[in-house]
Amino acid sequence: MKIVEVQNVTKKYANHLALDSISLSVEKGSVFGLLGPNGAGKTTLIRILNQITAPDSGVVLFQGRPIQKDDVEKIGYLPEERGLYKKMKVGEQALYLAQLKGLSKQVAMERLVSWFRKFEIESWWNRKVEELSKGMQQKVQFVTTIIHEPDFLILDEPFSGFDPINTNILKEEIINLRKKGTTIILSTHDMASVEEICDDIVLINKAKKVLEGNLVALKQQFKNHQFEIVIESDSDPKTYFQNSDQFSLIDVIQKNNQYHLSVQLHEQISSNQLLQNILPFGNLVTFKEILPNMNEIFIKQVNDTK
Amino acid sequence: MNKIGLIISREYLTRVKKKTFIIMTILAPLLLAALIVVPVLISSETQKSMKVMVVDDNEFFINRFSDNTKTTFAYRTGDIEVIKKEALDNGYDAVLHILKGTQAIQSNLYYKDEPSMTFNSNIESQMDKLLFDKLLIDTFKIDPVKYDQLKSLTRSSIANIKIDETGQEKETQAEIARVVGMFSGLAIYFFIFMFASQVLRGVLEEKTNRIVEVLISSVKPMELMMGKIIGIAMVGLTQFLIWVGLTFVIIYGVQIAVPDIFQSQAVMQQMAGPEASMVSQTQITNINAAEMPSVSVFTLIDHYFNVSFTVLLLSFLFYFIFGYLIYAALFAAVGSAVDNETDSQQFTLPVTIPLLLTIMLLVPITENPNGPLAFWMSMIPLTSPVAMLIRLPSGVPLVELLSSMAICVLFFVFCVWFAAKIYRVGILMYGKKVTYRELFKWLRY
Repeated sequence: MKIVEVQNVTKKYANHLALDSISLSVEKGSVFGLLGPNGAGKTTLIRILNQITAPDSGVVLFQGRPIQKDDVEKIGYLPEERGLYKKMKVGEQALYLAQLKGLSKQVAMERLVSWFRKFEIESWWNRKVEELSKGMQQKVQFVTTIIHEPDFLILDEPFSGFDPINTNILKEEIINLRKKGTTIILSTHDMASVEEICDDIVLINKAKKVLEGNLVALKQQFKNHQFEIVIESDSDPKTYFQNSDQFSLIDVIQKNNQYHLSVQLHEQISSNQLLQNILPFGNLVTFKEILPNMNEIFIKQVNDTK
Repeated sequence: MNKIGLIISREYLTRVKKKTFIIMTILAPLLLAALIVVPVLISSETQKSMKVMVVDDNEFFINRFSDNTKTTFAYRTGDIEVIKKEALDNGYDAVLHILKGTQAIQSNLYYKDEPSMTFNSNIESQMDKLLFDKLLIDTFKIDPVKYDQLKSLTRSSIANIKIDETGQEKETQAEIARVVGMFSGLAIYFFIFMFASQVLRGVLEEKTNRIVEVLISSVKPMELMMGKIIGIAMVGLTQFLIWVGLTFVIIYGVQIAVPDIFQSQAVMQQMAGPEASMVSQTQITNINAAEMPSVSVFTLIDHYFNVSFTVLLLSFLFYFIFGYLIYAALFAAVGSAVDNETDSQQFTLPVTIPLLLTIMLLVPITENPNGPLAFWMSMIPLTSPVAMLIRLPSGVPLVELLSSMAICVLFFVFCVWFAAKIYRVGILMYGKKVTYRELFKWLRY
């Protein structure tokens, strides 16, 4: 089931096209990566999902029907440009933000207390925000983003400003929320975390969608039929495989009696055939297909659409 | 609670709970009361008459100055240096040395403690009159005794009686009306600026804090803007009402403690201020003559103005609220469009110029409260809150007052529409120097 469907959304600013007929859909309960270089239109799209700005044309469906004002209470949003009132007390502020999302004061209070315990920040309740470290502030901000238990969570660069330990805590929380059925849109430039937690991705460049799909499927789609092989042998692989018409050697590194080979398989040749070819050469240690990482796919796609 | 209510209460509570607010709220009426009470106390202190020793080298003015409650005169002839020293050492407050001359007479006044501002003008006008009388008598060979008799027969005075629309007649006190007008005009100017700037700073704070995007994912930009404007308006009203209340309490308190203090003359002079008392010596004595034994400041307003105190107070509230709302909306737009307070000035300046202009034209408006300048400025919504308040105590036809108010309300609606358009775009623009052309574009987004 789709929780969010964006259909042919176009947004134009005075003399600049921010989104050009973008369509995408987000599967309920998935983590959806929204990727693209700076200025691609991600923030505009996110603002449209949050009803901060309205599209010039196209529709956004939320839970199967056109999105409406009340839906903000089912959406959590952690903007890239985020902050808190510096002079306001942490607890008071969290309570205020929770109430703005439609929670009653009591419910907000109960949930905040348990979240503050979980993140071990209860002692900060009566401190002013400006007294908190940046990481602490980020934690408070994250709590206020999810306090109303949204069905749909939009995180724009959630890891920026977090140290590695807090980044991990945050990742765990994202995975936890997903387990509970929350759908999450993750917009980030950190491709490693995309590979770690995203199910599906969409790549936007220059206001247009250039790529979309399941992360695993995309990696398969973009694989170059390259293999990494480590093999022990006394002979030189360059001369041994010289006449092979099934594959070619891209790179050979010798470490003691081990050869690390990078191999490009020719078309129509299966990995089994490759394996059969190399087994007589020596004692096989490692045989692994090299899949492209998101970073490479990202760069390739963005450069291709230039 | 609905969301705009939440925003209003946050804006209100965070400000009202601030220490500076509490201090200002308590301190200001004390200062204001002190501003009224202290000069009265001081002037009643200095009511003890000035003793002046006159040394006239022409020997013309001897025994001719007339004593009054403020000043008594004594006369000597001889060496000025000797007399000066003796007189000042022997309880005289000043020595007036009139130099030899015929028509344009030069005098020196020696004193240890500065005399009051009206002192010199009092002596000058007495000397002018005496000289003029002398000239008349000498030129036309008039019998001096007869001349004095004639003069005593021709003392005229004017009582200002205003006829309102219903034909009712009311004796008014133009000077005081003007001063009260000036005072309320300045007060409203000060209030509008103080609280509208708070809106600007508040919007700017949310923008620079980057919390604004979090907020507008929960509420509409319009709700956020109006919540802030209304919340701060309520802070202003709270402060204003406490001020009015406390000032009343303090003044009444002083009045009870020192019943003589607001004897009409002292109050009149105090309210009319030094420059007014210079021009209106006669008018003040007038009121004295016109039966006013001891009257409180407030009944005084009702008694002598063309509007009742209630109308004045309600109009003040109205123009404070709408003047504030107009400027708050415009300032909110400015705050959303810029990134820091320094940049905001280029945009606040054009909207504040009308208000500054009104203050600069305070005197012409006060002097002719029903002239075309005063009329138009009290109709144009950017200037009307101040201008109308200046005019009001001198009496403004109800039709004019109501149309000015109506224009004000309509303009406010326009300002909110305009500000909302700028605001919703502006708050999401970071790190960009905004130009007027850009602002204009935002209107069409």
